[in-house]
Amino acid sequence: MTLLAVKDLTKTYGSHTAVKHVSFELTKGKCIALLGPNGAGKTTILRMLAGLLAPSTGSITFSGYKPNQDIRKEIGYLPQYPAFHSWMTGREFLIYSGQLHSLSKKEALEKADLLLKKTGIYEARHKRIHTYSGGMKQRLGIAQAIIHQPKLLMLDEPVSSLDPIGRRDVLTLMEELKENMTILFSTHILSDADEISDELLLLKQGHLLESGPINDLRKKYQTAMIELQFTGDIALYEQKLLELPSVTNVINKRDVLHISVTDVEQARDEVIQKAALELWPITQLTMNHSTLEDLFMKVMTK
Amino acid sequence: MRQWYTIFQKEMLENWRNFKWVWVPLVILLLSIMDPITTYYMPEILDAVGNLPEGAVFKMPTPSPVESIMMSLSQLNTLGVLVIILMSMQTITGEIKSGVSEIILVKPVSYSNYVTAKWASFILISLASLFVGLIGSWYYTNLLFGDLNFIDLLKVFAFYSLWFMFIISLSIFFNTIVKSQGIILFLTIVVVMALNLLTSVLGKYFNWSPSQLSQHIEDMLLTNHISTDLIMSAIITIAASLLLLIGSITFFQSKKIVE
Repeated sequence: MTLLAVKDLTKTYGSHTAVKHVSFELTKGKCIALLGPNGAGKTTILRMLAGLLAPSTGSITFSGYKPNQDIRKEIGYLPQYPAFHSWMTGREFLIYSGQLHSLSKKEALEKADLLLKKTGIYEARHKRIHTYSGGMKQRLGIAQAIIHQPKLLMLDEPVSSLDPIGRRDVLTLMEELKENMTILFSTHILSDADEISDELLLLKQGHLLESGPINDLRKKYQTAMIELQFTGDIALYEQKLLELPSVTNVINKRDVLHISVTDVEQARDEVIQKAALELWPITQLTMNHSTLEDLFMKVMTK
Repeated sequence: MRQWYTIFQKEMLENWRNFKWVWVPLVILLLSIMDPITTYYMPEILDAVGNLPEGAVFKMPTPSPVESIMMSLSQLNTLGVLVIILMSMQTITGEIKSGVSEIILVKPVSYSNYVTAKWASFILISLASLFVGLIGSWYYTNLLFGDLNFIDLLKVFAFYSLWFMFIISLSIFFNTIVKSQGIILFLTIVVVMALNLLTSVLGKYFNWSPSQLSQHIEDMLLTNHISTDLIMSAIITIAASLLLLIGSITFFQSKKIVE
């Protein structure tokens, strides 16, 4: 089911176009990564979805709403560099956030304490926010974004500025939140997208280059390649491999043979048959499962 | 309405924590009592610091109670206005600049609640400060120059507070259209000065301008009668403030999308 549909979204600043005719849909219940290098337009798109920026053209339609209607009730948003009323305590800010979402004082209080515990900053709840570390602010930022249980949670680079431990904590938290809401987050770190997202939106210079479930994209951009390792002299086998019908090229890289093939599965069978017949001293055979990085590089240089 | 009160409470707490509730009343009080006191002690002050020739005699007229109160108002008209602008000039731009507004305005916050709650919180501080200041001025006037009816003082407060309300509306208005605090300060002062200048040059046509309020207040004290001019000035000031407030909300809204 589609939660949010974006059609032909464009944002122009003077002569610079930050987002160019982008269309996509967010499926309810998924975790979607908005992936792209710096300056690709990720933040601009999120800001437009959050209602902080007006699109130059195009429409944003939330399920159950008219196009471009005010959907702030339904979303939670964490900016890339969240700033708070730093003279407030963490707890005060959460209560204030809840009340702005028209929770009653009592509801806001209960929710605030619950979220302070869940995000692990309960101990610091009575400290002023200006004393918080980067990681604590990020967690407070997530807490304020989900205090009203939004249908769509949008996080702008939620882990980029954190140290490895803070990063791990936030990713774990996102993993939990995935159960209850649709998450759209931007990142330029591939492993983060790989780790928790179901779907990808790949952006470059304002264009949406690719989108879809992460496994489908992997398959689409998978290279047909087999890697072989032997004990002993590798050069002996290079020629023999080239004679196989589905092998197109063989390269020797650091004593690993990288075999380009026309069809991975067929090539595997041929290699195994030949190897069994001639008793090749194979130590490892890998059918290439291309990484997200390969995919990313391929799409970006397309 | 509940959301309005939430924002209003937050503003009150903020103005308490950043000591606006302390320094604004103090400065306004100081400005209000400074002139009556220095005028009274002027001969002694001159005696103490001035290198006056032997036998020089200064005859200073003792101001009437009305003149004493008007001295306070004239201080408030210049430095008091500056204090009010300084207090309010970064209320919205400051939040936009720091980025807090990015987190606050993605919540379903009504733009008119946001603007008017801030407006109301500053009105409250400035009126409280004005009241403290006028009480101080009234106290020293009675002590040094003679009796002034307390009811008259309340009338002064009621009419003069409209001038402060106008200044705050002006400052908030510029907050929503300009980004830099310096420019907000500059523009607000320019408008106030232009208004004063126009009023003094073209007094005939600007008799009901907000900046004529203190003139009419003086007449009220002297004649003991609330003139039509004072009432009209008050109405114009209230209307101008409301227009500025509506303008602020409209400008602020148009920066974002809400359809």
